[in-house]
Amino acid sequence: MAVMTAYSTAASFGTAVTEVANQLASEKPKLIVYFASSVYPPRELASAMEKAFAGATILGCTTAGEIAPGRMLKNSLVAMALGEDIIEDIAVEVIENVKDGDRTREALQALAAHFGKEPLDLDPTEYVGLVLFDGLSGAEEMINDKIGDATNVFFVGGSAGDDLNFSQTHVFLQDRALSNVAVLALIKAAVPFDIIKTQSFIPTGKKFNVTEALESQRTIVKLDGEPAAEVYARAVGRKVEEISEEFMRYPLGLMVEDEPFIRSPQRVQDNKIIFYCAVKEGMVLELMEAQDMIEDTEAAVKAADKELGGIQALIVFNCILRTLQLESEGKTESFGRIFAGYPAVGFSTYGESYIGHINQTATMLAFGTKR
Amino acid sequence: MVAGKIREMINTIVEKRSGGSAMVARSIRARLVIKGINVDAYTETSEDDPEVIAKLQQIAKELGVSL
Repeated sequence: MAVMTAYSTAASFGTAVTEVANQLASEKPKLIVYFASSVYPPRELASAMEKAFAGATILGCTTAGEIAPGRMLKNSLVAMALGEDIIEDIAVEVIENVKDGDRTREALQALAAHFGKEPLDLDPTEYVGLVLFDGLSGAEEMINDKIGDATNVFFVGGSAGDDLNFSQTHVFLQDRALSNVAVLALIKAAVPFDIIKTQSFIPTGKKFNVTEALESQRTIVKLDGEPAAEVYARAVGRKVEEISEEFMRYPLGLMVEDEPFIRSPQRVQDNKIIFYCAVKEGMVLELMEAQDMIEDTEAAVKAADKELGGIQALIVFNCILRTLQLESEGKTESFGRIFAGYPAVGFSTYGESYIGHINQTATMLAFGTKR
Repeated sequence: MVAGKIREMINTIVEKRSGGSAMVARSIRARLVIKGINVDAYTETSEDDPEVIAKLQQIAKELGVSL
């Protein structure tokens, strides 16, 4: 079957599922990926999706906005159906009580065992992972770290949202709507694939050593031995009480060769800066400066399209901070148009995953044409 | 003063874990940076900092690499 996408903005979850199911009804999918606003009752939604797509592996989560081909949506349900011509096989594991425990390695063992392999024997050009987190769990750094310890397969994904209520997020698996979990899916792809990571920032050359941090609280106390907020204020040419106005435009980047892994400041507290993801003492961070998000993202998607000989399916994890920036600049329609012409679904996340937990980034999983 | 051990440990971790794959090697270097090792800061002449060496020994263990 060809990859199919569908969306509904119906107010009722039942109507939304029916509309989406009708649009995707033509053939039997191997995998359904869906993202839904938290306006829908999560348990009822998951149950209805399971009934509508019986026999398929069904994955998804709640959001802070949805992405469909050619548009960014609010209060909607978006879904993608992928057949065996894209997904040769898939295995899924849930890590429950993700805040308290760590059974990541065990989950990876089980996923690999489904394919008759050990996690380290999985070829990262044949297999790819999807990971969805409870976006309020705060467990993303630990789980991503453990995934990377156990396997060389790349896992891409995001943290579920709840339309900026910051109350409760859900990850969907079959007929279940789960909180305090990470859901890991290991896919054996029938086609080439690529992971896109684009953050639309350039380094400024201003670098800082993290000399004191509270890692579990995602807080930097001191940069270069001085209060973090004062150092940041000097770097952006503002007073400490004004710096939160600059956070979106000037986040910090953890540079890996020439590639930044963005750490976004959230707020200032007693001259400390609290971030949306963890920072460790000893890290060197660089002040980043925002570039044109539309141009940058479009170029990244087009490059992947060329590399893959045409994108057959695109799953997009776009940071809520980018969405908020697009909204403030009146650019959501332009951003949505990047995905016109591609079978795409996605959502605005509370954090993106690729090698680690990152911010102000779009991570995407793109499937190409036949090998 | 003894020097260069940290660079050697980083190289060994990346080489052993990547098995010759440039794509995996790049991701392992990224993982080391995210784990708090500034991989580009250490050369063959960098001083052997016992704290960093201990951290790398722990990371090697986590990655299943024998040093």
